[in-house]
Amino acid sequence: MSKPELWVVAERRLDHIEPTTQQLITKANQLAGDRFHVVAVLLEATTDHLEDELTTYGPDEIRVVRDDRFPTATDAELADALKQLVDAAQPNTVLFGATITGRSIAPRLQAKLQTGLTADCLDLRFDDDTLVATKPSYGDNIMCEIICPDRRPQMATVRPNTFAAQPTPNGAELTTAKVDFHPVTRLHVTAATPVVNTATTVGDASRVVALGRGAASAATIDAATQLAERLGGRIGVSRPLTDQDRFTHDDQIGQSGNTIHPDLILNFGISGAVQYLVGMQDSQTIVSVNSDPNAPIFAASDYGYVGDAQAFMTALLGQFA
Amino acid sequence: MSTRNTAAEKLLLQMVDDYTAREVAPLDMAIDHAQDYPEGFMKKLTETGFLGLMLPQEFGGAEFGPEVTATVLNHLARGNASTAVTLEGHFKTIDQILKFGTPALKQALLPSANQRIFAFSMTEASGGSNPMGISSTATREGDHWVINGDKIMITNGGLAQVYCVLVKTAPDQLSVFVVDQDMPGFSFGKREDFIGLRGTPVGEIMMDHIIVDDDHLLGHLGDGGLIGDSAHDDARILMGAVLTGIMEHELKIATDYAKERKAGDKPLTELQVTHRKVADIAMRKETTKLLYQRAAQLKAAGQPYSEEAAMAKAHGSRAAVAAGDDALQILAGYGYSREYPVEHLIRDARAMEIAEGTVEKMRSAIATAEFQK
Amino acid sequence: MKIVVCIKQVPETNDVTIDPKTHNLDRRGLAGVMNPFDKNAVEQALQFKATTDAQVVLLSMGPDDYAQSLREGMAMGADSGVLLSDRAFAGADTLATGYVIAKAIEKIGDVDLVIFGRQAVDADTGQVGPIVAEFLQQPQITYAATLRLSGPNEVTAERLLEDTKQTLVAQLPAVVSVRSELNPPRYPTPRNIQLSFEKPLTIWHHDDLDLDDSRLGQAGSPTIVTKVYAPKPVKRELTPLTGTPQEAASQLIKALKDRQLL
Repeated sequence: MSKPELWVVAERRLDHIEPTTQQLITKANQLAGDRFHVVAVLLEATTDHLEDELTTYGPDEIRVVRDDRFPTATDAELADALKQLVDAAQPNTVLFGATITGRSIAPRLQAKLQTGLTADCLDLRFDDDTLVATKPSYGDNIMCEIICPDRRPQMATVRPNTFAAQPTPNGAELTTAKVDFHPVTRLHVTAATPVVNTATTVGDASRVVALGRGAASAATIDAATQLAERLGGRIGVSRPLTDQDRFTHDDQIGQSGNTIHPDLILNFGISGAVQYLVGMQDSQTIVSVNSDPNAPIFAASDYGYVGDAQAFMTALLGQFA
Repeated sequence: MSTRNTAAEKLLLQMVDDYTAREVAPLDMAIDHAQDYPEGFMKKLTETGFLGLMLPQEFGGAEFGPEVTATVLNHLARGNASTAVTLEGHFKTIDQILKFGTPALKQALLPSANQRIFAFSMTEASGGSNPMGISSTATREGDHWVINGDKIMITNGGLAQVYCVLVKTAPDQLSVFVVDQDMPGFSFGKREDFIGLRGTPVGEIMMDHIIVDDDHLLGHLGDGGLIGDSAHDDARILMGAVLTGIMEHELKIATDYAKERKAGDKPLTELQVTHRKVADIAMRKETTKLLYQRAAQLKAAGQPYSEEAAMAKAHGSRAAVAAGDDALQILAGYGYSREYPVEHLIRDARAMEIAEGTVEKMRSAIATAEFQK
Repeated sequence: MKIVVCIKQVPETNDVTIDPKTHNLDRRGLAGVMNPFDKNAVEQALQFKATTDAQVVLLSMGPDDYAQSLREGMAMGADSGVLLSDRAFAGADTLATGYVIAKAIEKIGDVDLVIFGRQAVDADTGQVGPIVAEFLQQPQITYAATLRLSGPNEVTAERLLEDTKQTLVAQLPAVVSVRSELNPPRYPTPRNIQLSFEKPLTIWHHDDLDLDDSRLGQAGSPTIVTKVYAPKPVKRELTPLTGTPQEAASQLIKALKDRQLL
């Protein structure tokens, strides 16, 4: 008896693989044990070799479908191709990154398959062959565990940077599959331009200087910017600072924003609302500076200093120099 | 009908709270520091239809009643009191045109009242408390009137485009005419440098041989005193609402601070001195609210409300200054700092111990009403 | 041109709690408002209405008190509202919701453009738009950052993917979901709030639509929520940094060097 298939739908990001795909393959391998056959499903052009960026992460199989129309295909066309693949292989589970692309194609495929899809998951596990997906709701204030007991495949999109990608030496079996490409003539991508400045998000940074309500003055933000540069990191913010012109929701940690796990995070003036703590608690080393000794952030930190954020930053910058 | 009214009121207050939180409250400190509304601020307030809040629907307004109108100013004032007072000055003026204007005057003026600000002006340099002491005049020349004189301390003076002006039409006769800034002979004078409500302009207009027809007369000749009193009554209800909003703001600052801070190792929220101050602020806020709502209910029901309106303003203004003082004391050094809003809330509230009749005058009016019972 | 904007009513705040006894979500006392992201969709439709003769219909599914947020959208300027309200629709997940919404759009008829907000702030899925597009067999543009009518029967949108800005052109009818960066939504004016009560708000029940009962409500929902809980942050062993900021900074630098982070 062959094992049920656990799919990760690979996503393209410019000429590379979206990092979330690699993170998901690692997670899928851990979930699969020897009960599931992990398949990375890759739709690419005939001249592409994106499978090279998947092999390193060791899915059992990389199933490649090639068509030169894939790189510019629209959601409905890609969902249609995936539907054919699902019909042919009957996977148990299909996972997508909860990227804009993933969150656009997955529900379209869900509707074609008349099955269940859980969005933007922060954790996955299996009870027998039923996927238990943990999904945040109410701006990450509440977690829900959701299952799809009766229909297959069961589907989930998973928030980027929720899991860490780990290369393995195992390699992967490369197979190919075919689908009929059904063009949707009523929708065209007429231009696609790479956008460079979003290349490093707070989610990608290995060092993060995080600012909250207690570190919101212009002078403090300037000091934090210097500190982030000195550390080779990025600034992230908690929700109150997203109201400032210089920050957007892309810079936000927690609360429907980015879940991050950098090597080092320095929290300044952040009291530590639950959704914030959950959004950054997988960071390797957590340092927090807050003027309130009772701030909940300290209980979730490795190092803490009770005092003024800007004074501490200035002292730190002074000693780096 | 009442279900519909409730639903409409709920939607309205939801919008007002949303607007206050996004468009008004964030600018509160800046408005005080700059002594003006920022660029585009009044334009947005106008586009969002606030000027037409109580204007009848036939003139393009929303036609909300006195209670809802006052409640809206209460909620707006939580974000910025000046903004609410600017609307108060506008609404009290429209109210007088609705009460005393002829159908022709209403038809001529009111369709623009959701785009243009209206103001009511009584005071002159010779002193505000005795209307008979004014020197502005309207004299009959042929089939029209010629208006001369200067008016000062006008709420929204300089910002408003239409002015109801109290003038003498005979040595012992006060009447009200309506002029607008585009009339030949109309000009603006200086803006007062007041310590509070610094967003609301208070200014001067000069009228030099402004010629108007009979149809610019509000009410009848000799109605000036009556209309002036009525404008005061309507303004005082709304000021009670603004003062309630100021106290709600003061209470929030005080409780937020107390919840975050400690004195020694004890949270401020566990200290009796804090309890007493917070409770006093809350009681002052609530009594003022009940007073203005009571006056507005009487007005909506068509009953006399002059005394209750005076109470709302007289009690509310003193209460809001005292509440601000208590809030300042809870915040201590921060409360005394211009970086925090408490000190300007005290200055804002203080204006209303004077404007629309001093607290002393209110008390006389209340006492007189009681003696007459 | 006819535009349908799909809106959802959500609690006024996301500060919901879990009932410690029942482990259910405690939503008592939370006022319902229009999902903030849906306001961007309504605003976009109203901008199209300002430049064309477009008719803007709001569509929502939920209990009768969802009329409140439909009214709010009509107070912003939409022409009419349709509420899909029936006990048979209760407990629907995204698939079952999308099914009924798509059926209602078919019943409204001659709809050129369906606009969704990017996602609801309570459930945070953003799935219903694409599901409806699939059921209607129409092209979809998700997460549109700009949207304009580029021809008599055509919309052009820009969307920002993780690393790419895309321009897409869709022939109508189409389904679009919009980002909040698209526009600042207008406030409902006091006058329009009053006038909204003169506009038609229709409630459609189960029997008003041609529905397959097996696809409705809980029965038609493949997913089940098995557990709801408040996330608990993981506690760590805290090493306090002490003294002046300078002293504390040097303690930190030493610690970070020990951890090979500097």
